Amino acid sequence: MKIIFSLILFFLASLSFAEENSVNVYAWPGVIPNSVIQQFEKETGIKVNFSTFDSNETLYAKLRATKNAGYDVIEPSSYYIDRMRRQNMLEKLDKNKLSYFKNLNPEFLNQSYDPHNEYSTPFIWGVTGIFINKNYPHSAAIKKWSDLWNKNYTDQLMLLNDAREVFSIALKTLGYSANDANSDHIKKAYLKLKELNPNIKLFNSDAVISILIDDDANLGMAWNGDAFKAKQEKAQIEFVYPEDGFVIWVDNFAITKNAPHRENAYKFLNFILRADVAQKIALDNLYPTANRAAQNLLPEKIKNDPLVYPSHAILKRGEFQTDIPDSALAVYEKYWEELKMSE
Amino acid sequence: MKNDSTFKLFSLSIVWVWLLFFSLVPYGLVIIASLLSHSENNLIQLPFTIKNYIDVNNIIYLRILEKSFYLAGLCTLICLVLGYPFAYIIARMKSSFKGLLILLIIIPFWTSSLIRTYSMIAILKSKGIINSFLMGIGLIHTPLPLIFNNTAVLIGLVYNLLPFMVLPLLTNIERLDNRLIDAARDLGANRLTTFRKIILPLTMPGIIAGCILVFLPAMTIFYIPDLLGGAKSVLAGNLIQNQFLISQNWPFGSAISIVLALLLAMLLLIYWKSTRGKKERDLL
Amino acid sequence: MTRATSPFYVTLIYLFFYIPIIVLIAYSFNNAQYSLLWHGFSLRWYQELFTDADLWVSVWHSLLLGVLSATIATALGGLAAVSLYRYKFFGRNFLYALIFILILSPEIVMGISMLILFNLINVRLGFWTLLFAHITFCMPFVVVTVYSRMVSFDKYIFEAAKDLGATDGVIFNKIILPLLWPALLAGWLLSFTLSLDDVITSYFVAGPDFEILPLKIYSMVRLGVKPEINALCSVMFIVTLLMVMLSQFMLRKKP
Repeated sequence: MKIIFSLILFFLASLSFAEENSVNVYAWPGVIPNSVIQQFEKETGIKVNFSTFDSNETLYAKLRATKNAGYDVIEPSSYYIDRMRRQNMLEKLDKNKLSYFKNLNPEFLNQSYDPHNEYSTPFIWGVTGIFINKNYPHSAAIKKWSDLWNKNYTDQLMLLNDAREVFSIALKTLGYSANDANSDHIKKAYLKLKELNPNIKLFNSDAVISILIDDDANLGMAWNGDAFKAKQEKAQIEFVYPEDGFVIWVDNFAITKNAPHRENAYKFLNFILRADVAQKIALDNLYPTANRAAQNLLPEKIKNDPLVYPSHAILKRGEFQTDIPDSALAVYEKYWEELKMSE
Repeated sequence: MKNDSTFKLFSLSIVWVWLLFFSLVPYGLVIIASLLSHSENNLIQLPFTIKNYIDVNNIIYLRILEKSFYLAGLCTLICLVLGYPFAYIIARMKSSFKGLLILLIIIPFWTSSLIRTYSMIAILKSKGIINSFLMGIGLIHTPLPLIFNNTAVLIGLVYNLLPFMVLPLLTNIERLDNRLIDAARDLGANRLTTFRKIILPLTMPGIIAGCILVFLPAMTIFYIPDLLGGAKSVLAGNLIQNQFLISQNWPFGSAISIVLALLLAMLLLIYWKSTRGKKERDLL
Repeated sequence: MTRATSPFYVTLIYLFFYIPIIVLIAYSFNNAQYSLLWHGFSLRWYQELFTDADLWVSVWHSLLLGVLSATIATALGGLAAVSLYRYKFFGRNFLYALIFILILSPEIVMGISMLILFNLINVRLGFWTLLFAHITFCMPFVVVTVYSRMVSFDKYIFEAAKDLGATDGVIFNKIILPLLWPALLAGWLLSFTLSLDDVITSYFVAGPDFEILPLKIYSMVRLGVKPEINALCSVMFIVTLLMVMLSQFMLRKKP
């Protein structure tokens, strides 16, 4: 009992000595291996407090609700970079402090969500496309989103549990933009999705890879990175870049406005941009990296696999995900609820 | 007498201070938020309005609430039916292992519920443990659809909430006076009558407590239904979460959660009124 | 339920509680990262687990937080239940309402409203904010459990004690506590369980330099890093089980 008590006391005492020379990083889990964090700490002597979030929405809500959450470096996806920079939540980056910025792949720079990359540096990216289990008899026929509406696929599809992702496939099928904010178009997409309802087996965003591997669904939507990982454990998984277009997401690093350790945050950001570091990261998390110098350092097997790095011609069919107004988000959400309750 | 008031003052003031600060103030903020508007750049802003409450009165939200009530109610009922005999047997045990048995009820729940839900998926999925077993012994030839439906959701909810029914029941049934049961028997009451007239009324407080602790959380849990049910319907928990996080409409999210709280409070109140005058009126 | 069937029934319920845990432990030895089917035996997840220092820090944080918040919540909830039962005072129904609001609030509402509260009074997010939040959402579970046991008390005990000259403090120590301890224990166990497992409220009130296990698990699982977590859960489960068994054994040996 006494031991426990003194441990607790010791712990409480240690709380008051919060490390000064540190940097607080807030990122998606599993994107940066521990070894890279340790290497940074060793090279710079800066202690990294690495915390993780599970969705852009929760990251945003938390930062919005407080003035001093204390995070320095954050890693939102493109459409939240867009929102956060407009709401003055991000630090305007001083490129002079980011000497390795030149390593980045120009294909992911100057996109509409951050026109001159004044606020963010792209980190990893991916495409939402169609996964197919080759053992499934009809698999060869699927080339584009609109093929999913085929009556043969009753109760077969897995869709991501995310309103905008799911609506994007109907919008693309109808020839609209995945970032469409026009409520008539969203309604049309909803009516289109309602026709898809009998084919939907489940919605999931949390266990996609195991669903692919364990044959819980034979086809549906997935990110190319996840399909690549699933393929490591099950060779029958195929991935299609839909011919009628698709969404490209990019996760980016940014520095928060009023970051308590701004200088250290720059050091961390620049470190992550270094070719050898970015290569290490890409080998660990297996997501496509936005760092061209690192991509060139990758083994041939990964760098030439179209499942991870699709050709320029394919990527041109893609559309970067951008932010849309709250009013449109509310329309999406409303139809999303209708869609799910319409059975 | 002076000591008396000191003790009363001490316990009451500490409870009051805590609840005023951590229940009234945060909830007050929610109530205020529910009466405000929202815009692109401000999560909440003036003017005051009751529009959010009017918006809740929409058939889709009512259907979502109805479905949540149905699932939570069914889950509570199953927990009660499964948990009562279990708690009764353990509570009436004379064994010196009783303490250990009670601890063994709760220990599985000290591992992450998310990880346990994944185990549940591994058991239920189409190539999972149950289906492989049944197919292995040749009882079935195509996998049974055990997952991504309401049954799976119920199994998951019951599994996670059963201890919240069992523990209050246990502490209550333990207090049961053997002499009352013996007396009833001596007077010629059969098992059923003894249960109905003596045991049930005396353990009612435990039943109520258990039902409250199961029903209320079951209303707003969402990741168990999402994972086991394939997220094919929206429940009250999803609805509120999505208003806050996805639509970024904090005032409307607040309004829905207040309506939900009012509905649940009404339920409790109806129960309280209906037992008024009876001995159990103190239960709540 | 007859004497013959009751051991059978109890075993069945325990099986229901433990089968997912057995599966969880089995899968910690599964030689596959993502699949939930069996792919052969491997110890690699245990290797990864014991080299992941950050994970163990979060385990320690969570255990500490769980013990502290369950203990304080039990004390506070016990006092609240006793006061509600024994005293008539102004605003008693209002106090009930404040307690029920806490169980009625969806986690996200509690998380965000607490975050705003802490922000208003300018508390740095971290250990303390987590502790306050956890105590708060655990407390009503203690109140409900304790109160339901108190109702079965004979009110005349207190009257009799008072007539014999006992003060409230003495009544609390000598009568109420001994009678209440099973309910307090139950309340503590429920609180500890809730604290160890809470994700959403914790997410909002956690700070950058105090990471706790449920948050870590939640986000790791979403990215498919699971078997290592299974290994961790298995280790924690086995250790708890051994500790409980050992304490039973030691209690038994006492004369």
